Amino acid sequence: MSETRFSSLQMTALVILRALIGWHFLYEGVAKLTRGNWSAAGFLLESKWIFAPVFKWMAQNESILRVVDAMNIWGLILIGLALILGCLTRTAASAGMLLLTLYYLSTPPLVGLYYAIPSEGHYLIVNKNLVEIGALFVIAVTRSGQFAGIDRILGRLTGRSRR
Amino acid sequence: MTEEKKKPEQSGSEKKGLGRRDFLQGLATVPVLGAFALALSRDLSYERKRKAQAFSHARKRTGDVKEVKIALLGAGAQGQVLMDACLKLPGVRFTAVCDIWTEYNQRRAARMLDKFGHRVNAYEDYRELLAEEKGLDGVLIATPDFWHAEQTVACLEAGLNVYCEKEMSNTLEGARKMVEAARRTGKLLQIGHQRRSNPRYLHCYEKLIRETGLLGRITSARGQWNRAVQEDLGWPQRYEIPESVLHKYGFNSMHQFRNWRWYRGLGGGPIVDLGSHQIDIFSWFLGANPAAVIANGGTDYYAKTTHEWHDTVMAVYEYETRDGIVRAAYQTLTTNSSEGYFENFLGDQGTLHISESAGRGGVYREPQAPQWDEWVRQGYLLAPEKAGQATRADAVLDVRETIAPDRHDIPVIFNDPYHMPHLENFFDAIRGEADLTCPAETGYETAVAVLKVNASIEAGRRLVFDPREFHI
Repeated sequence: MSETRFSSLQMTALVILRALIGWHFLYEGVAKLTRGNWSAAGFLLESKWIFAPVFKWMAQNESILRVVDAMNIWGLILIGLALILGCLTRTAASAGMLLLTLYYLSTPPLVGLYYAIPSEGHYLIVNKNLVEIGALFVIAVTRSGQFAGIDRILGRLTGRSRR
Repeated sequence: MTEEKKKPEQSGSEKKGLGRRDFLQGLATVPVLGAFALALSRDLSYERKRKAQAFSHARKRTGDVKEVKIALLGAGAQGQVLMDACLKLPGVRFTAVCDIWTEYNQRRAARMLDKFGHRVNAYEDYRELLAEEKGLDGVLIATPDFWHAEQTVACLEAGLNVYCEKEMSNTLEGARKMVEAARRTGKLLQIGHQRRSNPRYLHCYEKLIRETGLLGRITSARGQWNRAVQEDLGWPQRYEIPESVLHKYGFNSMHQFRNWRWYRGLGGGPIVDLGSHQIDIFSWFLGANPAAVIANGGTDYYAKTTHEWHDTVMAVYEYETRDGIVRAAYQTLTTNSSEGYFENFLGDQGTLHISESAGRGGVYREPQAPQWDEWVRQGYLLAPEKAGQATRADAVLDVRETIAPDRHDIPVIFNDPYHMPHLENFFDAIRGEADLTCPAETGYETAVAVLKVNASIEAGRRLVFDPREFHI
């Protein structure tokens, strides 16, 4: 891979982007947790397109649903914390992309698909989930955690960070 | 991490090991977590405040609650609803249950109560219950309407306090006797218009209508209860009640026993079963009894032989309130469930939409009315939601249209069984700790208002109420 140099300003921009996405994930998780009775069932049952049977099956199977709910809540919280702190950044960003991809595939904004869950805008194929997936891709392949984040400390301690 | 890319920007920290700069930059985003924690704590405390407001209506139960001994008369569908709600209340003990369907309703209720640790004696005839059961404080009556008057009067005269389901009676003579018996005996008689104790309704009445008057001058009201088509109620053949028993208790057949609400002389049809709840709210919120009513209705869909009362009714009431005339339209359909059930109060400054159905309700400010920010700050209303959110984004507003009003949610959450606060109010009144929210006189006024709908349909014209009709 050719060497790419980032200026401090560019790295700072990446750190800010990472923290913003982290905040979003963290609050999505915490809000579901504090609400107490949150469940993914409503969202999953709305699923359309070719993966709909899989998502609906998750919602209709009570024990599966419980696991899905817990993984959602704690996945969001842990990914959010990791992104904010820049800790295991690449793993966290990849996990976030995976989670968002599942959300996207459950209710993709494709031509001719309509959902009862209200969304705050109008989308054609690209929606905010997809944009956030793209943003996390940027975070996953750049080393903002090595610039400002726990990864910098971890790297120095384990000696795996190369300068 | 094993990223391969190089970052040359930290020219000052090229040395191995953890430097001061590494440490600071490594923890550079930790303050974000602090900001998040601060924002979250404000968010949570706002939610807590909202919830506290919602539950401030619920009475706090501390220490011992004086036990109230009660019997259930009529263990059908409604009796079960009351029983389930009572089982969630502290200090309520069932000692007897009475139902003429001994093999089914009676047995089911007794078994259920036994499961919850209430040892009950079961009776077929309420007179036997009254003769045998001593030490009762109250009775819940959930029998068919045509039994209410006789049973209520007998229970009151036996020295018992009575919670009687609505409709108070299928005849005004019956209802009148109940009021008189309550006065004569000095015992409590609560009529089962349970919305009168519902914290959401109490909030709307006390804060939004009386205290703030934020609807302005109320000019009209609207209410409906629309139900989907339903099959007649059936019964398991092996549990059929013997004909002699049915006759003894005023029923011609098992079909009539199960579907008494549709039969003349037994019930009053949907306008009485469903409508009386909501017409009761009209009178309560408007602070007046109706001055006139005109109604139209009939059995348009079901078989007239088994549905003697109207399956479809539309009525328009006129109220003469302190602020002026209010016209109130009410309808009940049993052939279509569109928009379910709700009551609307429409004033020149706002609209109140309220339903016993807990997820529904809202207050809408008219565009030209004064702002409601003060009421939002005081917690009487929740913050408004964006106007026109529900309308299609591509819909073009005609210049003659008024823009859609903001919607404010009602801040009171109520997730208990619907009848629970009303029963609790009855038990608290027995304990001497509360006044009834729907005493006999109030139930009577509503019975007068509601039964006139059927009379107006028969007469085919507008009927005027004599104000004296409402009082005994």
